[in-house]
Amino acid sequence: MSDEKPPVGGRWRNLYALVIGVLIVLIVFFYFFARHFS
Amino acid sequence: MSTIDWVVLCVTLLSIILYGVWKSRGMRNIEAYLLADRQLPWYHVGLSVMATQASAITFISAPGQGFTDGMRFIQFYFGLPLAMVVLCITFIPKFRNLNVFTAYEYLEKRFDNKTRSLTAFLFLVQRGLSTGITIYAPAIILSTILNIDITYTTLFMGGLVIIYTVYGGAKAVSYTQMLQMGIIFSGLIFAAWMVVHLLPPDVGFGDALHIAGKMGKMNVIDTKFDLNNRYNLWSGIIGGFFLQLSYFGTDQSQVGRYLTGRSVAQSRLGLIMNGLVKIPMQFLILMIGTLVFTFYQFHQAPVFFNKTEVNKMEAGAYKQEWKKVDSSATVLHIAKQKQVTRLIQALHSDNTALEDSMRAGLQSSEKQSAQLRKQAVALILKNNKRADVNDTNYIFLSFVTRYLPVGLVGLLIAIIFLASMGSTASGLNSLTSATVIDFYRRLIRPSASPMHYLGASRWFTVGWGLFCIVVAFYAHKLGNLIEAVNILGSLFYGTILGIFLVAFYMKRVGGTAVFIAALAAEAFIVFAWLNDLMAFLWLNMIGCLLVMILSFIIQRFLLGTVIPDHKEASPVSKDIETGKASKYFDN
Repeated sequence: MSDEKPPVGGRWRNLYALVIGVLIVLIVFFYFFARHFS
Repeated sequence: MSTIDWVVLCVTLLSIILYGVWKSRGMRNIEAYLLADRQLPWYHVGLSVMATQASAITFISAPGQGFTDGMRFIQFYFGLPLAMVVLCITFIPKFRNLNVFTAYEYLEKRFDNKTRSLTAFLFLVQRGLSTGITIYAPAIILSTILNIDITYTTLFMGGLVIIYTVYGGAKAVSYTQMLQMGIIFSGLIFAAWMVVHLLPPDVGFGDALHIAGKMGKMNVIDTKFDLNNRYNLWSGIIGGFFLQLSYFGTDQSQVGRYLTGRSVAQSRLGLIMNGLVKIPMQFLILMIGTLVFTFYQFHQAPVFFNKTEVNKMEAGAYKQEWKKVDSSATVLHIAKQKQVTRLIQALHSDNTALEDSMRAGLQSSEKQSAQLRKQAVALILKNNKRADVNDTNYIFLSFVTRYLPVGLVGLLIAIIFLASMGSTASGLNSLTSATVIDFYRRLIRPSASPMHYLGASRWFTVGWGLFCIVVAFYAHKLGNLIEAVNILGSLFYGTILGIFLVAFYMKRVGGTAVFIAALAAEAFIVFAWLNDLMAFLWLNMIGCLLVMILSFIIQRFLLGTVIPDHKEASPVSKDIETGKASKYFDN
C-alpha cells in the first residue's frame, strides 16, 4: 500500500525535495524582503 | 454591523453547515463517524489539515501579532514543511498499514496498555484545553459586535459547534472545511487588497511595506541564535520542527484528518499540500496585520481597541483621566501623520537624510504611543481590576468593523466563525475518538454493537463540548490566544512525540522504560516552563529528547533486558492485521 507512486513527480522523494526546496526559497526570499523594506 | 453584513454572515454560515450535514447523512458506525469511512481524496485531506490548524485564533490574533510585534512570527512555521516530509515517510505508512483509528492504538501494539493510556490521557488534557480556547476566540467577536457579555456569546458559539459536530462527525467536518478554506483564502486576499486601497492615494503597497519596515515591523528573519528569543530562524526550524512533528504526528485532531484519506498516497499528498501552502498563507495573514499598522499611521488608532472596555471607561469614574489620555493620543497622531507624510516624500525622492530623520522621529513617536497605551491600561485596571487588558486580539476586528465596506465585514466575520467551527469540530471529533477508542471501547465496553459505539461517540462529543465551554470561560486570562495555544501544546507535545519516536526507531526499548521516561520528561517540562528556563518552542525538542535518552538509559541500565522488536500483539491488533477488524465497527 505504501509503495503507491505519486500522481506527479515520478517518485515520492522528488515531491519531498520540492517541499524542502520551496522552504529554502521562501527563507531566502524573506531574508531579502526584510532587508529591502527595513 | 449593517443588515447586509448580517445577511452575508448568516447565509454563509448556514449554507456551509447545511452542506456538511447533508453530505454526512446516513452514518451507521464509528468508522464513518470518526474517520469518514477512510474514503476522502488528497485535496480534502490537505484542506482539512489546514483548516484544523487555522482556527479563528489565526485570523484574530495573527494580524494583531503582525501589528504589535511585526512579521517575525512567520519563523514559527519554518519547521512545518520538514515535519510534513517526516510524517509522509514514517508516520503515515505506520498508521495506515495498521488501520488504526487513533495514533495511540499503535502504542499498545508496540509497547503496552499503560503507555497507550498515558499518551492518550496527555492528549486529552492538552486538546481539551486548546479546544476551549478555540471556542473562546470567536465568542470575543460576538461580544464586541453585539455588546453582549462574553459568557453568553461563549455559550452560543460552543453550543452551535456541539450541535453541528455531534450530528456530522468527521465527514461533515471535512466537507465543511473544504468550503471554509476556499472562502477564507478569497476573503483574506480581498482584505489585504482593501487595506492597501484604504491608504492615502499617493501611498502604494510598496510604500506601506517601507513604512512598516522603518517602524521595525519587517523583522521577518532573525538569524541570531538565542534560546530565550521566542521567534528566530533556529527556534523556528528546530523547535518548530519538533512542535509541528508532534502536532501533526501525534495529535489526534490532525492524525484523524489524514487517516480519512482513501490511501497512503492520498494522505501523503494532503500533507505535502500543507507543507507548500501553509507558510505563504501565514505570511499573508501577518502582512495584513503590518498593513493595518501602516494604515493607522494615517488614521488615528484607538488608544485601546477593545470597545467594550473603552465604553466602560467613558462612562466610569475615571472618564476625565481617560479623556486626557485620548486627547494626548490625538495630538501625538497629528505629529505622527506629518512625520509619515514626510517619510513618504523622502522615499519617493530618494532623500536618505530626510528618510533617516523621519524614521527616528516616527520611532520616537511610536514609543510615546506605547507609553500612552500603558497609561490607558493602567486606568482600565484602576477602573476594573478584572478587565481584559490584552488588546492584541481586538486590533484586526476593530479595523474590520470600522473601516471595511458593507458586505465584506459580514464575510470576514463569517471567515472567523468558519475557521473556529472547523478547528473546534476537529478538536471535538478527535477528543471523542481518543475517549471512545482508547478508553471506553478498550476498558469499559469492549464488545458492544456498532450502533452503541456510535451513540456513545455522540454523547462523548456533547460531554467534551461542555468541558471546552467551561475552559473557554477562563481563556481570557491567557493573553495572546495564538501564543497561549502554542505554549499549551509545547508543554505536552515534546513528551508525546518522544514516545512515538522511541516506538518507531528504538526497537529495543520497552513499555515500562518509555512510560517512566515520559513521566520524568513531562515533570521536567512543566518545571522548565514554570521557572521560565527557555522560550516555549524549545520545550518540544527538550521533552522529546529527554524521553528518548531517559528511556534508553532506563532500559539499558535499570531494567537490563533486551526486548524483542515487537511485543505480542493484542487480540484487537491481531484482528486488525489479519483484516478481521470489521467485526468491531461494521453492522
